[in-house]
Amino acid sequence: MTRGLISLAFALSLGLVATARADSTPRAVVESVTGQALEVLGNKTLSADDKRSRIEQIVYSNVDFETLSRLVLGPNWARLSDGQKTEFVAQFKRHLSMTYGRNVETYGDEKVIITGEREEPRGDRTVRTKILHQGDDILVDYRLREKDGRWQIIDFVIEHVSLVANYRSQFQDMLSHGTADELLKSLHEKNERGEPLKAPKA
Amino acid sequence: MVAALCAVVGCTAPRVADPMRPAEEQEQDPWQGFNRKIFWFNDKVDVYVLEPVATGWDKVLPDPVQHSISHFFENLRFPVILINDLLQLKPGASGIDVVRFGVNTSIGVLGFMDPATSFGLEKHDEDFGQTLGKWGVPPGPYLVLPIFGPSNVRDTVGRGADYALAVTPWFVDQIYLIPAQVIDTVNTRSLFLDEMRNARESSLDFYVFVRNAYAQRRVALIADQKPEEAAPNQEELYYPRGLEPVP
Repeated sequence: MTRGLISLAFALSLGLVATARADSTPRAVVESVTGQALEVLGNKTLSADDKRSRIEQIVYSNVDFETLSRLVLGPNWARLSDGQKTEFVAQFKRHLSMTYGRNVETYGDEKVIITGEREEPRGDRTVRTKILHQGDDILVDYRLREKDGRWQIIDFVIEHVSLVANYRSQFQDMLSHGTADELLKSLHEKNERGEPLKAPKA
Repeated sequence: MVAALCAVVGCTAPRVADPMRPAEEQEQDPWQGFNRKIFWFNDKVDVYVLEPVATGWDKVLPDPVQHSISHFFENLRFPVILINDLLQLKPGASGIDVVRFGVNTSIGVLGFMDPATSFGLEKHDEDFGQTLGKWGVPPGPYLVLPIFGPSNVRDTVGRGADYALAVTPWFVDQIYLIPAQVIDTVNTRSLFLDEMRNARESSLDFYVFVRNAYAQRRVALIADQKPEEAAPNQEELYYPRGLEPVP
């Protein structure tokens, strides 16, 4: 009996050490991001604004917006001046955090389970998760890239739809009709208004 | 028919690898002017008719009822799914779908419940557009259909074929089919109220958002992408040409 308890405690403490050490793995990053986010969303004592700013903090500290911005612009990134690049990263970051912060009140009772992990051909890692949501599971994959010894998120793939690919398509379309300055202006205006841009006239 | 379709979408040699090309390349939109008009129309129908009705539906019906109705209509798609499983030479999936139909129609009370999934018999989403894609027919230009929404030339043909393959219209009276279709549409829409609102608000250009999401999703469905597999050919997406990774 005693022996059993001791080995149980030993196993548990080993487990704790393993989790503590694993802080820098892609899986641990995703675990911590989803865990913290669910905690904020499910916290009934927080106001919607508090929730929003906390979610924003979680996202800001785990997403590599510099890389994300390059990826969503793709080859168009090189067409931007240094000033435009800085402006784009700032505006896109704001746009995403608004998007993710918008629905803080409709969620809360979800659970997230990590279903697996895979190594991508050139060193990125993808951590697969499933949000258990009222009987309808939602697949969310996080793609991470290591920079300065830290794993950070560079894409969210929701039900096989990659956020990077989707925004790249939208920005590509805007840049094929207009200039980078116009794109920045619309992004800025959208952020100010908090609503979708008007589609260009057909 | 595949040959006729090829004449429209312009496939030259057999291009079995085509559905595996990145979604970006699958998004050609030469009819954008026309498509945007139809999209605008569909959007108005959604905003002024479908969404309000679905919102009411969602308020009145408890979630489990909405899910049951959705299972019921899903179960009725069995003939279409089975035929497309077979046309894609997937005996395993065909078998599972036959058992699923049997289990859900009996134990699942005419399909209103989905015990098969909890028995580990996963559902498959197949249609004739996917079957054509599997056999190398490229999607052709993007096409927005009135009411039905995003599609492409290949999937529009597929939609017609699926309608012919659905057994229901052969023995169910039109008087029941139309209300059933309406209920199915409203109910399905009621399950995506938040998602649609999010998508509208978060996109810079909702039209392009939908076009791209449709293309990415079709590629994944045709490839029967398993969750543990990466989407094919993503080199250009994550390592764009002429851009060094952030130093």
